[in-house]
Amino acid sequence: MEPLLSVRDLTVTFGSFTAVEGVSFDLHPGSMLAVVGESGSGKSVTALSIMRLVDLGTRGRIESGEILFRTPDGVVDLVAEPEERMRAIRGNQISMIFQEPLTSLNPVYPVGDQVAEAVILHQGLSRREAAARVLEMFRLVRIPEPDKRMSQYPHEMSGGMRQRVMIAMALSCDPKVLIADEPTTALDVTIQAQILGLMRELREETGAAVLIITHDMGVVAEVADEVVVMNRAKVVEQGSVFELFDAPREDYTRALLASVPRLGSMAGKAKPAPFDLVEYNR
Amino acid sequence: MTDLMPAAGELGPPGAQAWRMFFRNRAAVFGLVMLIVIIVMTVLGPLLYTQDPSDIIARPLQGPGSEDVPRLGTDYLGRDVLAGVINGGSASLTVALVAVLLIVVIGVTIGALAGFYGGWIDNALMRFTELFQVLPALLFAMVIVALFEPTSMTVAAAIGLAAWPQTARLTRAEFLRLKNLEFVKAARAIGASDFRIIWRVIFPNALPPLIVAITLVMGAAILFEAGLAFLGLGDPNTVSWGQMIGLNRRDFLNAWWTVTFPGLAIFATVLSFSLIGDGLQDAFNPKLRGR
Repeated sequence: MEPLLSVRDLTVTFGSFTAVEGVSFDLHPGSMLAVVGESGSGKSVTALSIMRLVDLGTRGRIESGEILFRTPDGVVDLVAEPEERMRAIRGNQISMIFQEPLTSLNPVYPVGDQVAEAVILHQGLSRREAAARVLEMFRLVRIPEPDKRMSQYPHEMSGGMRQRVMIAMALSCDPKVLIADEPTTALDVTIQAQILGLMRELREETGAAVLIITHDMGVVAEVADEVVVMNRAKVVEQGSVFELFDAPREDYTRALLASVPRLGSMAGKAKPAPFDLVEYNR
Repeated sequence: MTDLMPAAGELGPPGAQAWRMFFRNRAAVFGLVMLIVIIVMTVLGPLLYTQDPSDIIARPLQGPGSEDVPRLGTDYLGRDVLAGVINGGSASLTVALVAVLLIVVIGVTIGALAGFYGGWIDNALMRFTELFQVLPALLFAMVIVALFEPTSMTVAAAIGLAAWPQTARLTRAEFLRLKNLEFVKAARAIGASDFRIIWRVIFPNALPPLIVAITLVMGAAILFEAGLAFLGLGDPNTVSWGQMIGLNRRDFLNAWWTVTFPGLAIFATVLSFSLIGDGLQDAFNPKLRGR
């Protein structure tokens, strides 16, 4: 099957520091790919590169590589697209959910208006049509009493509700690719499960391919079809989720899997035992 | 959040909270009432008290309550001080208002662009701002007024040009703080343009401190206008409070009323803006309350 999005040999630098080095992976239509790794491994920068937002307020630069994206008018390289074309793609064909639902919404506007913004911008809907679309999206992401919620401000909503609003915003233009940068990290565990379940259902309903970034192996096992493991700016291992969990080839992957605590693993111990620093060298 | 703070859902939009807090602040409400009284006096006063402030109505330097001048007395030319106080306000307030508009337009635009884009744009714009900041404001304004005809508009322009750098710096600081927040990134991720992000996304969030600053700048602009008029650099054809004080300064030891009443008017106007500004500051920043 032809990949929808194909990252080829991507290298991103911040000044003299290389945040992403020679990363390649494919995202297939309708599948869910997880990029896992510890903090600073370059997974978020990879995601931002696909949106071409790495230069945001920093000195980030895509040094080399290509990001091939299949559109109805043929394959385009997102690294080389002019900024204006990128703006038409962002939020429309590729959209993104961020880590912090508490700060990802603008505090001075009602949430409904913020979701409407995206469809007005990309699909040229009128205010009224946009409001109808927002209502539809709020129903899709299972926000209770959607008509009431639309006129609320972000501070009147809980974290889980705000993340649903963010997902509604991201999906409002029927994107082909949804990038979720640690969508559940800031939420508590029961809400995490709800949001992950929602994302899985939505992928089936909308057919969007999902790129999910996480450091949580539990999340990976829960939702992903394919996994890319990153460490220190490089891809360590990639494969299907079953291959990876059943027979990890690399030490680092094994260490990452072993780092998830199991229920009862602390039984009989007085306090958490310090464990050895995992150093991974290829 | 402790139990002492109301829960997030109960307060309504942030603007409504701020207004409620503002109206609970007695000093701020006093300032607002005083300002409204001054504005009403300025707008309606000339209609109710039709004495022309330029007319000579009696002998010079008659005190308040003298037989032939029952009101606030006459100045060194025999003109009615009360008429001057009533009519002088519109010149002061108009000049200050136009000056503040200019300050806001220049200051906010330059500050927003510098803060948002950073890099060499920020550098260039901030050096340009500093160029204006290092000039002594009063001298700079005096030079401008002296070079051109001293009409109300040139005075306003002079004040505006001399006083915008602080607003620019404040706006820049706010933009620097806000531009890296997640919701700005999120706006970019839905494909918003720079123009949209600056004015629709970041600017409304920068408004509270700007509103406070602008209120205080308004008071400062009134003082500035009075200062220029006192020095004889105002429009000679319109009465203003500062001009009244300036013209009567030689006689103020033996005719206190000629300078005291316009002085009180300036004092009350500037004080009202300061009180409102302080009230807004407290309302937008609850952490400062009780100080």
